[in-house]
Amino acid sequence: MISGTLTLFNWTLKMDSKSIYPHIIRAVFSFIMFFSISAAFVDAFGTSRTGLRFFETICYLNVLLITVSGVSYFVTAVTEEKDAGTFALLRLAGMTPLSITLGKSTSRLVSSLMLLVIQLPFTFLAITLGGVLWQQIIASYIALAAWMILVANLALFCSVRCATSGRAAGLAGAILGLIFVLPNVIVNGLAAFPTRFVPVVISDSLKKIPSAIGTIDIFERLRGLLQTDSAIVFFGQQFWISITVATALFMISTLTLDLWSAPAQFGGPSEIPSIRRWSVGRSWRLAVMWKEFLFFTGGRSFFIVKLIGGGLVFAWFFVWQNANGGVDGLTLRGDYAWNAFETFAGLLAIEVLLYSSGCLFYEIRQTTQSTLAALPVSGVRILLEKAGGCLIALIPTAFWLAVTAYCGYEGIARECSMTMVISYVILLCFSSHIAVILSLYTHWAALPLTILISAPAFFFLAAPILGLTAVTTSLARSQHIESTLLLSAIVNMFWTWLFVLLPLQLWIRDRWNHISQF
Amino acid sequence: MAEDNTQTIPAISVTNLSHAFKGHQALSQVTFCVMPRTLHGFVGPNGAGKTTTLKAICTLLKPSWGEIQVFGSSVRADPISVRRRIGFMPDHFSMYRQMTVFEYLDFFAAAYGLQVKQRDQVIHDVLTLTDMDGRRNDLISSLSRGMQQRVSLARVLVHDPDLLLLDEPASGLDPRARIELMEILRELRRMGKTVFISSHILSELAELCDSVTIIDRGQVKFSGPMDVLLESPEELPTYNLRLANVYDNVAARIRELPGVDDVREPEFATGRDFNIQLAASLSANDFLRSLLTLDLPISSFSQQRRHLNQAFMDLTTRGVRT
Repeated sequence: MISGTLTLFNWTLKMDSKSIYPHIIRAVFSFIMFFSISAAFVDAFGTSRTGLRFFETICYLNVLLITVSGVSYFVTAVTEEKDAGTFALLRLAGMTPLSITLGKSTSRLVSSLMLLVIQLPFTFLAITLGGVLWQQIIASYIALAAWMILVANLALFCSVRCATSGRAAGLAGAILGLIFVLPNVIVNGLAAFPTRFVPVVISDSLKKIPSAIGTIDIFERLRGLLQTDSAIVFFGQQFWISITVATALFMISTLTLDLWSAPAQFGGPSEIPSIRRWSVGRSWRLAVMWKEFLFFTGGRSFFIVKLIGGGLVFAWFFVWQNANGGVDGLTLRGDYAWNAFETFAGLLAIEVLLYSSGCLFYEIRQTTQSTLAALPVSGVRILLEKAGGCLIALIPTAFWLAVTAYCGYEGIARECSMTMVISYVILLCFSSHIAVILSLYTHWAALPLTILISAPAFFFLAAPILGLTAVTTSLARSQHIESTLLLSAIVNMFWTWLFVLLPLQLWIRDRWNHISQF
Repeated sequence: MAEDNTQTIPAISVTNLSHAFKGHQALSQVTFCVMPRTLHGFVGPNGAGKTTTLKAICTLLKPSWGEIQVFGSSVRADPISVRRRIGFMPDHFSMYRQMTVFEYLDFFAAAYGLQVKQRDQVIHDVLTLTDMDGRRNDLISSLSRGMQQRVSLARVLVHDPDLLLLDEPASGLDPRARIELMEILRELRRMGKTVFISSHILSELAELCDSVTIIDRGQVKFSGPMDVLLESPEELPTYNLRLANVYDNVAARIRELPGVDDVREPEFATGRDFNIQLAASLSANDFLRSLLTLDLPISSFSQQRRHLNQAFMDLTTRGVRT
């Protein structure tokens, strides 16, 4: 068992060190560290807490990366073998379930923990910048490591439970989403509903859930640690509970590995044909768009689920506002409008990034790119049709975003300028293009890498966007042209497309054509 | 007139095709021709350049040098119209496994621009031809490898192409599935399709193909009719004779006949089989006439042909190209 585990562990580590992409990730991370130092220095210039600001940025960036890695990198530990049909070969080679889970997941965890370790010397710079103690840095990294171990083992469990990487990523994403969202939903939900409608037993039980989840909440732990007046405990409750839950998840994964990895049953019909006919229907004239919408983004049924789900989220903000005495017809006010807008904008961004990082990789994974490229249409048209299929799937979220903007215009306008909206759109376009390109090179690492690249890119793009908006607005005013913001938005979008997006689009086309040969 | 044209214009014409990947010469001056309505085998060891050639023919790969025409259209100049006339089946399973068989074929039929009514008819026809009509509502992921290969073949046929390019269609199939696949290919030839098939299964190709191209290390070693390839390479024709019974001293008696150069008994012979080499001046007809005078009960008499395996081994080089 030991030799098998070590072989698998060594092999995975060797593959990781031979591959160029992990090194690129580390290099990008170093660049981000440098960027964060500069940003924090500028941000906190003249104050005595520059170091704390810098370290906070690094910590929250790490949380984001670890969480995204959970749904993209860790989650494929076992499913990549299932996808490639090599899982049975591992079992035939005498590998026990423990060897497989240890060998496959631990190597990824080790290489990811290395990412945290290499940061440590740089983060000590924060001490010299002021506002943070070395004990806070060490304790924060211990908390981050515990969070990473928890996420990696949760992803391993999803990887064992699900038959494909896509499903495993979906399950891991849903669980992590619940960890972050559920406490808020319960607390606000209980506050919104009059107490007479909720039985005491249920409300008492529900109230325990946020505090239970709070014990593993990395944000809460980091907030606690970074308050300078708090006592520093290196191994806090969050560490021990995360490690315990991670160990339990690892054991469940190992014990159920064979149970969930049985080969699919052959020969049966897909499902009731009439339901299938309704949910899938006949191929459209734009066949690739149809395929993309139906088989990549989830199709009609998922479209309806998102539409209803979006409506429920929207309704939730109304209920919340009304419960706090803010009844005002169909208008969302103040923070409620802004929070709803942020939620839908965030959901739209997540959806865009998931589709961008997966739509071409989906073809590569199924080795269907050459079949698709042999169709009597140009490669550009295939790419456009694929983008079209994804855009249709974005309609529900975009619809609720628009409804929120309409119902809560005043509250949103108070928090966010038109320039911010333009920046959001441009950054989303940029990130989606980067995600597509990365998915053609790195496959599963595309999503975290995109976030890594997009975060600093936003600051580089923001300056020209702000400048261009200001120049266009003042030029338009000097010429007595109305709708100056609209004009500046159009000018901004055009220049961004020409100098940023078009080169990326040409890159995507060339890379796709190249990959289609294989 | 148009009918005549399709008969005379080659289905595939490859001239001086060369291609290099990262300094490695994959194809070198490859030239061959495939006539319409024939079944053409494309044979070569691993790494010989078969798949590269196929991908260049089906417009997926832009070759460094040379010209390829499909039914007179240049692959380089007019790839879209070439794609309409070809059906390419790659050597790996290239399928959307979460679709049902019907959805998969419907998708490709729509992608080739067929209307809904046409699609229904075409899908019914191709599923009947490939004997998959009963599995039309099954998920592709639930089908066996042989069945998936049939669905792949059905997919290639949905837009009624004139030329089928099949890369290792029988690889990984069990003997029964392989025999059934060969039957379908014969049927397609009867339907007037040109089939260009790359395969390692030489015995089946020998029975199936009208013509063959053998490629090795990026160079064409032979291209022409299968009969020519399988003819004995020796200068004098050799014939196989099989008698109904075993008789004494038969070889010596045949050797005494006029015009007979040599008579040998093959290895592991049972005493009933003889390989006879005739002088160039003697025809098989004249020899048979004189053979009958010996009053031997002849079971069979045929000109000796090489097996495709032998031809392949003679023409290709041992070892894998590095």
